[in-house]
Amino acid sequence: MTSASIKLASVTKTFDGKVVAVDDVTLEIGAGEFFSLLGPSGCGKTTSLRMIAGFEHPDAGRIHVGGRDITDLPVHHRDMGMVFQSYALFPHRTVAENVAFGLRMRAVSKPEIERRVAAALAQVALTGFEGRRPSQLSGGQQQRVALARAIVIEPRVLLCDEPLGALDRKLRQQMQFELKELQRRLGVTLVFVTHDQEEALAMSDRIAVMSGGRVEQVGTPTEIYERPRTRFVADFIGEINLLDEGARPRALRPEKIRLVPPAGARLAGTVETANFLGGATLYRVNAGGRTYLAREAHSGERSPRAAGDAVGLAWNDADVVSLES
Amino acid sequence: MSAVANRKPFDAGRAAYLALNLLLLAFLLVPIAIILVFALNPTPYISFPPVGVSLRWFVKFFEGDDFMRALWLSLWIAACVLVLSIVIGGACALALARGNLPGRAFLTAFFMSPLMLPAILTGLALFQAYLLAGIGRPVWGLIMAHTLVAVPYVLRTTLAVLHNFDRRIEEAAAVLGASPARVFFEVTLPLIRPGVFAGGVFAFIVSFDQFPVSLFLVVPKGETLPVVLFNYMKFDLDGAIAAASMVSILLALAVVVVLERLIGLKAYVKL
Repeated sequence: MTSASIKLASVTKTFDGKVVAVDDVTLEIGAGEFFSLLGPSGCGKTTSLRMIAGFEHPDAGRIHVGGRDITDLPVHHRDMGMVFQSYALFPHRTVAENVAFGLRMRAVSKPEIERRVAAALAQVALTGFEGRRPSQLSGGQQQRVALARAIVIEPRVLLCDEPLGALDRKLRQQMQFELKELQRRLGVTLVFVTHDQEEALAMSDRIAVMSGGRVEQVGTPTEIYERPRTRFVADFIGEINLLDEGARPRALRPEKIRLVPPAGARLAGTVETANFLGGATLYRVNAGGRTYLAREAHSGERSPRAAGDAVGLAWNDADVVSLES
Repeated sequence: MSAVANRKPFDAGRAAYLALNLLLLAFLLVPIAIILVFALNPTPYISFPPVGVSLRWFVKFFEGDDFMRALWLSLWIAACVLVLSIVIGGACALALARGNLPGRAFLTAFFMSPLMLPAILTGLALFQAYLLAGIGRPVWGLIMAHTLVAVPYVLRTTLAVLHNFDRRIEEAAAVLGASPARVFFEVTLPLIRPGVFAGGVFAFIVSFDQFPVSLFLVVPKGETLPVVLFNYMKFDLDGAIAAASMVSILLALAVVVVLERLIGLKAYVKL
């Protein structure tokens, strides 16, 4: 399967002449990359994806796929796969007919369709479900059918609009692994829209964090997490301590703060609450009139500190990140 | 060891609820039962209690030239109305639900208005309009009139289906390479079909039973079954009327059952 790069050049989309959904977004997504658009609802991530798919036409800017300008190409000529949050399976067709749909539209011969449908269903571990109707499948199985239907046409680009959003937590985690593994195996360029920062961090090669129709930061999961550029990104991705406000706020992740004996510590304070998280404990520590979040991983012994205990806080200056306001 | 019977205590609310439902059911079905009794009772006038069982009124109905001509005309008209109202009502519903038309609420109300208007007014208005236009009273004029009052039924059931339609399904088809026309025929149409045909069943029955509109628009020797039955009742009130009513009821039922078997009115949609 050949994969294609995607380029959005200064793309803008306004709805009803006033709501700016996507505001001058420029992105370059490499061929074969697992690329996430991450942000809260209304940040423009879904609209961006829908413009790549061709459901929306940008008011300004161009979209290129594989070096070719596809801005004015109709949806059905774009040769992309897409997976929706609501699965969007054809309820009046069987699993096999759903998967075969894209091949039928391409006038592929019947034996070839049969072979490729069987292969696609095998890819998503649904062999034997050919004759079922979507209504007879669980949510996870339906999403697998949707995935098979999208990859069977061997798209150069696979677009996923919160595909795991409707699944429960356990199943979502399993599907995260499966989707990531499938993407690697196929080598397809995958654009993944999500509001779930853990999901984006776990799966992506690179992430674009969006807010208010604009791209706040693009980077690898490590970069986004360790070196957030703006206050929004720092805040949206996990928990953060803002050390000082103002024009150049500085931030520190909770796990970079160590709890030490109060004597000789950088700051001395008291534990307000201790939330046991399983593999770690998240402390709220009051020191110098402010509250700090500190996450301490459990390494063998159960953490001894409880609410009311006096503790000291310590961290390395190298771990402090300077943010644009 | 004996099983403990979980006898529920007598529930007055539930009993009243059941009684009310039985009463409503009786109100719906008892008149039909009475018609059946009269249709099978051999006396030449409507009387109770019945004195026996005979099929003479059915024979009279099926052997009467006027009855048979009217029955076939009514069936033929109802079939035409079914097809026309499905096409027009379905297309209308799609335009209203999808077309981004200005004044959509007004247009919907306008197309639904034959339902609000007394049918006798519609009949009278059409009679005068046909007269002024010099059309006269041809059968196609009657078909058009029935279609006018039948379209709102198709419109309403189709709009209901379209309202619950997940448009992502159409988008999924488009992204898989289906042109707009193929999306319509492969996805949209099959998914709204149960709603359209459910409306079509109503359209058929509305036409087949239509009296007030037909009254103004039929010509002598070209009357529909309800008009013929009405005229017959003015002079004779015998079991033939009851037999004709039974035949009408069974025919309407047959249409519903056949459409249900062919298309599955319940498939994919909850109406």
